[in-house]
Amino acid sequence: MSSFNVLLKKEWRENLRTYKLYWIPLVFIIFGVIEPLTNYYLPEIMKSIGNLPEGAEFTWPQFQGEDIFVSLMGQYQMIGILIVILAFMGTISGERKNGTATLLYVRPMSFSHYFLSKWIVINTIVLGSVWLGFFASWYYIRILYNSVAAGEVFAFLGTYSLWLVFAVTVILAFSAWISTGGTAGISILLLLVFQIIDGLIGTYWTVSPWKLSAYAPSAFTGSVDQSDYWLSVGLTVALIILLVLFGIRMSKQNAAKTLV
Amino acid sequence: MTNLLQVNSLSKTYGTHRAAHDITFELAEGTSTALIGPNGAGKTTTLSMLAGLVTPTSGSILFRGQPKPDIRASIGYLPQYPKFFPWMSALEFTEMAAILSGVEKRQALIEAKKTLEFVGLGDAMKKRVGTFSGGMKQRLGLAQAIVHEPELLLLDEPVSALDPVGRRQVMNLLKELQQKTTILYSTHILNDAEEMTDQLLFLRKGILVENGSLDDIRKKYANPRILIDFESNEEAEKFKELSPWTAEREKKQVAIDAVKEGVGTPEVLALLNAENLTIRKVELQTASLEDIFMKVVMEE
Repeated sequence: MSSFNVLLKKEWRENLRTYKLYWIPLVFIIFGVIEPLTNYYLPEIMKSIGNLPEGAEFTWPQFQGEDIFVSLMGQYQMIGILIVILAFMGTISGERKNGTATLLYVRPMSFSHYFLSKWIVINTIVLGSVWLGFFASWYYIRILYNSVAAGEVFAFLGTYSLWLVFAVTVILAFSAWISTGGTAGISILLLLVFQIIDGLIGTYWTVSPWKLSAYAPSAFTGSVDQSDYWLSVGLTVALIILLVLFGIRMSKQNAAKTLV
Repeated sequence: MTNLLQVNSLSKTYGTHRAAHDITFELAEGTSTALIGPNGAGKTTTLSMLAGLVTPTSGSILFRGQPKPDIRASIGYLPQYPKFFPWMSALEFTEMAAILSGVEKRQALIEAKKTLEFVGLGDAMKKRVGTFSGGMKQRLGLAQAIVHEPELLLLDEPVSALDPVGRRQVMNLLKELQQKTTILYSTHILNDAEEMTDQLLFLRKGILVENGSLDDIRKKYANPRILIDFESNEEAEKFKELSPWTAEREKKQVAIDAVKEGVGTPEVLALLNAENLTIRKVELQTASLEDIFMKVVMEE
């Protein structure tokens, strides 16, 4: 276990000292703060600087606090996921390419420890950042909008977190398999483009990891088919486990590709 | 002396390229062996296979007579260009290396400090590796390779990238390590090989072309020649005609193949004395390691 601990510590230190542990939460918190504020003040902002024609009247949509959570999730789904991809696409492939992995691979180290230490630390950072972002948003939602029940918020965050773990696992597994550039491309395809595809023609199926972000808001409305929801959750968990196993295998198989 | 490592017809093929082919050798415990060859001869491939980084296409590696699926616990490996996480301190890295190699956690810190002192990084152990010079990185590379006191040390070009001062320092460290452990290292600098080697392995295009002790190889390839420098061309020519042995003249210098002609310096000197020829120098020339290198490794 001490070799696993030392790898965990290494990953944590790396993210601390390369400042990812600071800037990633900061970005998510900034989005979390901006979302309720801009939505609340948008009518006034438009009135003062919007250059609207004289006498124009707009009916601004009346947002509820719940809507702000969902629209913040929409921001995270595109910009947030992109940031996560860019920050972690080289986690394993980069170590191989610059040769820093070599001095780890020549030790009697378990590749599952190697992969899982990264998986745990990155998930901690991503989930922590997203949760902090939502909490920051929640603070302003309470002040500016209505108070949202904590149980609903946590159910919403729970579902969305599973999708995030899936996203991190995809990035990491491909980073173990192919180059950093390839990882970026495939992750963008799988995590961003598929989202759009699922949004456009996704009415034909109801069970997929990409549906999780659509199902998460049902925590507020309770309007989703429970069996579809749980099947999607089950499928996502199964895919995460398979991707982790695949990632461990690929880390080991590609160990020889490290720069010597 | 027992064999620590036995390598049997080890081969590695990348596509159609034979990086290493049918390499067989043994390492006796406590000896130092140099793997010699030009760039691209397969030195790094061979070391990578022994280090467990690259899986051989065929062949076997026996450790103390046993096939060992994972010999990584018993070896220390220094790649040609060791790469470190720049955000880590030397001490943190060496400690991590020790723990990953199976040293118990509390002991790892003690060993890491001791090893860094040994390689001369005692004052810099708290500094980030990103600020290190090439020589310091090489010494840190050595530290991470020896911190867990491995039975076999694999070093890929340990001194090639260093300046003369750094080279001398690392060579001295290696000589000290030589007392304690078995070393296999690759080099193309022959002076280094000469300095600390019991056994030489010559690689050419992935094939082991010569294997033996320094003395044996010296003897085999020594090709001793007697060179006589004369005062003038005329005297040299005169000697060549008088000489009962086949001799070659190059201006004022005459050369005789000592082995082929079965002649030693005393006979030559006797003849020179008898004929009263004025000479500048008589020399028994044997091939330097560099000549041997060119002969063994470069010839087609």
